[in-house]
Amino acid sequence: MLPWVEKYRPKTLDDIVNQDDVIASLKNILSTKSVPHMLFTGPPGTGKTATAHAFAHDLYGPNYLSDGLFVEINASDERGIDVIRERVKTYARSVPFSGIGFRLLLLDESDQLTDAAQHAFRRTMEQFSNTCRFILAANYSNRIIEPIQSRCVVLRFKPLSKDAVGKALAKIAKYENVEVSDSAVEAIYEFSLGDMRKAINMLQSAATISRKIDEKTVYTVMGHVEKGLVRRMIDMSISGDFKGARDLLRELVYLNGVSPSDIVSSISREIYGIQLSDTEKIELIDALGETDFRIASGGTPEVQLLAFLAKLAARKGVGK
Amino acid sequence: MTLTWAEKYRPRKLSDIVGNKAAVKAFLDWIHGWEIGKPSKKAALLHGPPGVGKTSTVYAYAIERGLDVVEINASDYRTRERIENVIGMASQSATLSGLRNRIILVDEVDGVDSRADTGAVASLTKAISETRIPIVLVANDPWDPKLGPLRDKCEMIKFTRIQKPSIASHLKKIAEAEKLKVSDNLLRMIAEKSGGDLRSAINDLQALADSGGALSTETLGERERERDVFSAMATVFSARDIQTALSAFEGLDLEPADFFTWLLDNVPEWIKSPRDLANAMERLARADIHLQRVLATQRWDLLKYAIAIMTAGVSITARRGGGGGRLGFPSKIRYMGQTRAEREALASASSKIAGKCHLSSRKARTEMLPYIAFMIGRDKSTAKSLGGFFELSEGEMKYMAARYAMVSRKTGV
Repeated sequence: MLPWVEKYRPKTLDDIVNQDDVIASLKNILSTKSVPHMLFTGPPGTGKTATAHAFAHDLYGPNYLSDGLFVEINASDERGIDVIRERVKTYARSVPFSGIGFRLLLLDESDQLTDAAQHAFRRTMEQFSNTCRFILAANYSNRIIEPIQSRCVVLRFKPLSKDAVGKALAKIAKYENVEVSDSAVEAIYEFSLGDMRKAINMLQSAATISRKIDEKTVYTVMGHVEKGLVRRMIDMSISGDFKGARDLLRELVYLNGVSPSDIVSSISREIYGIQLSDTEKIELIDALGETDFRIASGGTPEVQLLAFLAKLAARKGVGK
Repeated sequence: MTLTWAEKYRPRKLSDIVGNKAAVKAFLDWIHGWEIGKPSKKAALLHGPPGVGKTSTVYAYAIERGLDVVEINASDYRTRERIENVIGMASQSATLSGLRNRIILVDEVDGVDSRADTGAVASLTKAISETRIPIVLVANDPWDPKLGPLRDKCEMIKFTRIQKPSIASHLKKIAEAEKLKVSDNLLRMIAEKSGGDLRSAINDLQALADSGGALSTETLGERERERDVFSAMATVFSARDIQTALSAFEGLDLEPADFFTWLLDNVPEWIKSPRDLANAMERLARADIHLQRVLATQRWDLLKYAIAIMTAGVSITARRGGGGGRLGFPSKIRYMGQTRAEREALASASSKIAGKCHLSSRKARTEMLPYIAFMIGRDKSTAKSLGGFFELSEGEMKYMAARYAMVSRKTGV
């Protein structure tokens, strides 16, 4: 068995859901065969990488990968801009044998590059644009420098609608022979919003619990993969067990590799449900905002979150 | 993956086993029965707290006699099948040439989940009756009711906690072998903290060494003047005025970031009042901001702010709140040492998943891996096929299953 996100990964542009404007533009490009550099922006799980592959498939045919006409580089994995430029150089230098005369290169998570690295990459793009066209994918277009944006056709991917997620899940469920209740679909959507990867992962995880998926099944997985440990950590803090909460935070950060920003946003969702006075809740939200900002500006996530947990432990809960 | 020191310095001779002489002798007496072909009991159950040499005894014996150890981890999720295959095959075919030189080691017998592996204890009991080669079981708690049937079949050999002076002197040998300069005082501290668990003590020593600067001082001459990290912390916590508190860091042969780590874990030990603790942790969080600015900008002149806040800043809250308690080795360093293998498994599994799912390792870790771990922990056949798809190693699979179990336990889901 494959992970369903891979098994049901779109193959062609026609398989891409919910991005009608983007697909229309790409089909137009296909018909002229005049391919510009492109920048795909949009939240995670909206189909940026899949669309790049689908576009290459429709442009070059099903062997686009083995023919060496498309390559994917992840900016966040490659060590530094020099390594990326080196890889681009080796790949993009020669004229491909195919009739079209250029290759495609996808630079995924390109917003992970620093401004300086982006400027360096821009020169690389120009240097090789005769033999290679670039697709850059990024969550936020505002993190891509202006000179790159101006050289690219910018295509914006939208979060998936509830309807699109529901339809996709129903289709997969049918293939996989599992039943999904409407309330389960609702719960999955509430959890994943427009992120298809998250929605499908949730569906497959829930299917390991039961072939009949209801909202309870979904909540169980949710507690496991996301909220459970954070919830427990908050409870420990509130009950005054700071050291217990600290140990749990370390498990989350170091052992489970949960990103600090995910922990912060989970806490922010949980705070309103805690047994505290309204004043205290607002003070905590303020403190959490400070924690969030400090982490974003270079503070050590563990240390900053510990200070927040200590504040939480010092609150007098309503129930205490 | 680099060898941990606990592995690197695992005893290769029975005489190298630290402590537990009586248990080693009992083990030799029992295995002697096998050597002369008349074992009193076909299996032995070595029991006692973690890190006292149970498994090491078996390996040291095997190395001395040139035997192969077939190791089965009882809390492995495929327990039953594995036990039957390995024990059944290995012990039944022992009459065939070459297979007699074996010893079966079943680790973590008390970790058998009686619900998930209903047949595990029964399979083991059966295997013991039929075996033609020695079986050694290892457990922390042999008095678990579910192990009842096994106890009757086994020679029970008890291992006890290792004396702290023995641990300290063993650490000293390792430190010398690794060319680490470390004070006897600190070694005693580590031994004290270990609670008789030699493995964790060795892990702590390695973690300390890895954390940098902490131990390897330039010259021995300098060490004379070196202030001990404990007295520096004591100064922070009990200084009556700001000047004394500020002086805590002076003469301390520790990077500011390392001293920070010691403070971070000792502040909660010392300061009891939750409100004062919150204030002190906030000071540390501020000190961290200054410290990170120094590192990011290489503006070393900013270091004075970080140091002032982590010493005097913490001191004024500690002074007000009173406090007291035992200062100790930072649990963070200990934790990082203990979880090294798991963290490596997390990193390597993330990069394998990244390769298959068109993601960076970072995103694979946060977006995919939690679900993969859930499915692997949840369902055996899914585990098998997902493990195959991502080409996960045994260690990575173990990490996934352990992660699932940990989350289930902690959240009660």
